[in-house]
This record gives sequence, C-alpha cells and structure tokens, in this order.
Amino acid sequence: MGFTKVTSKVVLAEVRPGAEVLARRGAMLATTGQVRFSPVSAGPGGGGYGGGIASALGRAMQGEAVPLMVAEGSGTVHYGFRGHHVTVVELDGSEPMSVEADRLLAHDASMSSSVVFLGQQGGLRGAVRGAVTGQGLFTTQLSGRGSVALLSHGGTFALQVGGSRQVVVDPQAYVAHTGNLRVDVSASVGWRDAVGRGSGEAVQLKVSGQGTVYVQASEEKL
Amino acid sequence: MAGWRLESPRVLVVDLDGSKGSAVRAATGSMVAYEGDVSFKNAGMGGGGGLRAALKQRVTGESLNLMEVTGRGTVHFAVGAGYVLVLDLAGDVLKAESEGLLALSDSLRTDVTFTGLQGASSGQGLFTTTVTGHGQVALISLGGPPIALRVSPATPLVVDPDSYIGSVGRLQQSFVTDVSWRNLIGESSGEAFSLRFEGDGVVYIQPEER
Repeated sequence: MGFTKVTSKVVLAEVRPGAEVLARRGAMLATTGQVRFSPVSAGPGGGGYGGGIASALGRAMQGEAVPLMVAEGSGTVHYGFRGHHVTVVELDGSEPMSVEADRLLAHDASMSSSVVFLGQQGGLRGAVRGAVTGQGLFTTQLSGRGSVALLSHGGTFALQVGGSRQVVVDPQAYVAHTGNLRVDVSASVGWRDAVGRGSGEAVQLKVSGQGTVYVQASEEKL
Repeated sequence: MAGWRLESPRVLVVDLDGSKGSAVRAATGSMVAYEGDVSFKNAGMGGGGGLRAALKQRVTGESLNLMEVTGRGTVHFAVGAGYVLVLDLAGDVLKAESEGLLALSDSLRTDVTFTGLQGASSGQGLFTTTVTGHGQVALISLGGPPIALRVSPATPLVVDPDSYIGSVGRLQQSFVTDVSWRNLIGESSGEAFSLRFEGDGVVYIQPEER
C-alpha cells in the first residue's frame, strides 16, 4: 500500500494480491517480481475496477481520454509519466479527492473512483466552468482510504481553504482538491480583455468550503 | 521590503498589505493562486513605464507585458515551472530579457535601452529591458536553477545569448560573432553568436537555451 517517491518525478508502488494499483496506461517504467498489467475496460463487467456502469458511461462519454491499466500480482512497479513532477497524497477515507482525469498518475485500486460530469455537480455553472476553462467536462472523484499520485508541471503546493479563507486559483494551474469544496468559475472579463489589453487573469476558479487545493507552478496543461 | 518569499524554488509568494509600497507589477498571466482582496489590471502600454517607454517598446519590439497587482492578500506567481531568482536592487541597474521578468516592486522603473547594432544578427534583439530604483525583482530561470557568474575587469565573460537572463552592475555588453566559411556550408558549432561582458558585475544565466 502506498507510493514511495524515488525522485521528484518517479514513484515506487508495492503490489500484492488484494493491493492492486490502477495507473495511467503506459506509465510503467520498471517492474520487479510477478506483476501483470491488464487494461481496465470501460464496459460493464470490465474487471470490477473503476466503479461500475455509471462511471463506465462517464468514461465512454469522455471518449476515454485517459485509459487506465491495473497492476496485479506481487512485486514492485516504478511509475512516471513524460518527466512530469509527481505529488503523492494520502487519503484517510474521511474526505474525497477530485482530480482532473489527465492529472492522475496512479492510485490504490481499493479506492472507488467515479467520473463526475461537472454539469451534475454544479448545474449549468459547472458545465460552463469546464467549457470555459478548458478543463474538460469530467473530473475523476476518488473516495476511500489509500494513496494517490498526481502529475503536475513543476510540482505542486497545497493551499488550505476553510472558514472565511477563500482561495482563487488560475484554471490552468489547478491540479486537484480534497475535502468539501465548492469550485466556481468567476469571469471578470472587461473591455480591456476584449481589446487584448487584459491582465491575463480574466477567468479564475473561486474555491470555498473546507479542504485543500493543489496548485502547480505553471500554467501549462499536461 | 518584506513580504516576498519563495513557497518552493518555482513559486514566488508576495504578501500585499494594501499600501502602495507593497504593490507589484508581474508578468501578464503569471498568477497561479491568490487569497484575499486582490485586483489584477493590465499595466498598460510600456508595462507602466510611461509613454516614452511605451513608444520605445512599440518601435523596438522589446515587448514587456506586465499587470499591476494591488490590494490586500497573498498572491502566488509562477511561470512555466521555471526557477525564481529574487534580487534586491538598491539603486543598481538590472538589465534583463523581457520574457524572463516575473515580478518587480511597483517602486522600480522599467525602460528599454539599446545594446548594440551587432545584436541584430543574433536574433536576440538589439534592445534590452532595464530596471532601476530601489526594490525587489524576480527573474525566471527555465530548465533549472539560475547560475550567477561574476565579472571583474580581469575576467571578462562570454555567454550564449539564448541562456542569458540578466545582469547587474557596471558592465559593457558586446556581441561576438564567429562566422566563417564553415557556417556557410552548414558546419557550424552552433555557437556563432555570443554575448561578451566586461567590467564589474554579475551575469545570470539559465540552464536552458531559448
């Protein structure tokens, strides 16, 4: 259980029967022992991973932009992806994590994941948020106990949100969040932006509630 | 001036207390997160350097896009996962490439200066941005931590224009060209143009070539 950081860009996972690991397809770098990799199929009855038909439907709608694979057996696996920085987050099961599908490197298979349509979460505003910020209309929600490896360009830093403490994040720099947070898009597009003289910060994500936001040190998408 | 710190080598954090002295100008779009009541406004033509600077930029093509960040709160800045180098200026002159400038205290002045005719052929530009006054400046170093190289009258320095990010001190800058018949037939070493610094000061370079 759990991921160990080998370098800032590579994590090591231990795989045992009953402690399988789900990861982005193609993210395996090296492996020892008896470990088998199989694709996680999106269809019904696809191996029992990934949270059932509803999320399979979600993935199908998403066009399966980020296919996953499962590592089974016993041994160790090194994971890494295109030289991006990896952040390991341990979840104690008390609060869920929301992460962009393409930011997810790996997580314990014991956690249940579901693909959430943003329009479902925040109504029309949620859908608008996804479309406006280019983040996509779906996010992956992980719940349960386990550890998650996130991908970022240049590493992440965590910002605590709680009570009256509200944080505003650049949509391109947003990576993930844990806890009960509301993420609203706020657009302050003025005439200056229309004529190309804006500050470049017209669209922002306002985060309120109780939890933690992970932000990367770059405005680059993966 | 307090209120500037590094969250990580790649993230600059600035605390704004609402006073004029804590306000900063930062590269357009470089905010990644903030708390509090902070407003972002395009610094206007010339990056807030006034009409003369704006006119020079228009003519020279040394474009400096800055936004004014004011209010009360904490702002995180980062660009392209580059390493942040914070310099304290106490009346010194900083010369920098405009694209390498992350943020500067509002009290500092920016201008565009002519660096020499031979720059035209290197593509690095004949003009450079100068920052003068008292305050703090943050530069971005892509590809890894910045490297500071000391220049003294006895030891002049030659750097690649593509990895040069800035320099502080009394320095004369000139372009060195090493073009021969080899370049014409495509057998160059890839280092035909370089920047030569003479005088007394410090030159900052980044590990990545633009």
